Amino acid sequence: MNTLLSIEGLKKRFGKRLLFDIDRLEIEAGAAYVLTGANGAGKSTLLRVLCGLERAEAARLVFNGATLHLVPYPRAMRDAIAYVHQHPVMFATSVPDNIAYGLKARGMPREEISKRVDEAMAWAGIGHLRDSPPQTLSGGEKQRVALARARVLRPKLLLLDEPTANLDGAAREAVIALIPTLMHAGSSVVMACHDRDLIHLPGVHRLKLREGRLEMRSAS
Amino acid sequence: MQLIQAVRDAFALLLSGDPVLWRIIWISLKTSLLGLLLATPLAVGCGYAIASHAFTGRRVLIWLAQVSLSLPTVLIGLLLYLLLSRQGPMGGLGWLFTQSGIVAGQVVIALPVLVAFTLAAVQGADVRLAETAITLGASRWRVMLTLLHEVRFGVMAAIINGFGRVISEVGCAMMVGGNIAGETRTITTAIALETSKGEFAQGIALGIVLVAIALVINAGLMVLQGDAHAAPAVR
Repeated sequence: MNTLLSIEGLKKRFGKRLLFDIDRLEIEAGAAYVLTGANGAGKSTLLRVLCGLERAEAARLVFNGATLHLVPYPRAMRDAIAYVHQHPVMFATSVPDNIAYGLKARGMPREEISKRVDEAMAWAGIGHLRDSPPQTLSGGEKQRVALARARVLRPKLLLLDEPTANLDGAAREAVIALIPTLMHAGSSVVMACHDRDLIHLPGVHRLKLREGRLEMRSAS
Repeated sequence: MQLIQAVRDAFALLLSGDPVLWRIIWISLKTSLLGLLLATPLAVGCGYAIASHAFTGRRVLIWLAQVSLSLPTVLIGLLLYLLLSRQGPMGGLGWLFTQSGIVAGQVVIALPVLVAFTLAAVQGADVRLAETAITLGASRWRVMLTLLHEVRFGVMAAIINGFGRVISEVGCAMMVGGNIAGETRTITTAIALETSKGEFAQGIALGIVLVAIALVINAGLMVLQGDAHAAPAVR
């Protein structure tokens, strides 16, 4: 397997407090990881660092074969990494426009956008929400729209922050059912989570943040 | 009884299509809307920039924007008068006692209102909106447009408030415009003049127009806001 992302000496500080000091983080292309750790261990912050929402120091960064600097956040990573927030927020447009947002930002032709949005909506099982105002969607529906909004970009790396947090019943199961299909679509996936059903998905590697250090266990 | 008669005369004056009266209304609308049109892009851009960026002096700028909300327009008029008078640094423009001078005053009066309201609207927006736009690959420009679209009702309220302030101000228009009949006489300066002469009918007629403008503009805002006012905030 090829290494998609390799970071050495990744440190994140808040003022004088060192949140984490990671010797080495390697994400293989097409592999899936769950990132666990106690509340406050820095799981969400690590994901936010990887998608450029938080600044951090890195001694060495290689992404997709290119040696880069983490600050300022490289365009190559911005275009290839998608992030789904724990509580996704919807733009006050329409569900298809929400999903098309990143494609429009990339200047994709309208026909291609329409095709990809239809495909993503079918994948997420949200075709019936096409005409629903995004602000009125339930938590589970918003999460599925957000997953479709990220997947439609065909990212090399998908970062999911607690994708099933605050969901229960059918909404949670619907989201869990989508995760393996993301993994099989060729993207690398890193999920920060506490959900046992996600942690025990087959073929998923485990990353654990403990006292500022990162431990890794290969998939069983 | 004098008031009732004055109101009757005011309506008669309005309905008669009196050219002097309608010229005053036209000058007021023209200078106010032009001032607002010039101030809005600059102020919304400044409000957004202050709200969304961390930089040295940010708090001072916010403080200045808020302080300038309470500056009397007559003081702004005085400062502009000094700048635009023949001996002033901007005297060469020849704007004193012209509609251009009034428009310049309206821009200065509208700017802090628009900046302060836009700033508040953008600061009140959910931080995840900008983060989501950024992580989906939006450029800085697209992030700004997205965020302003999300807080559009706040921005509209800013523009309405700005318009309310410029159309109703009298001090600056009087000082910089000079209240010249047919040239720089606006609704408010005309009301002040007619009242001082004891001619209440025209003053009331212009007052009615001022209230009608406020009603129409606010009704327009409510239509644009759609269902935003449909449900009470507290149930």
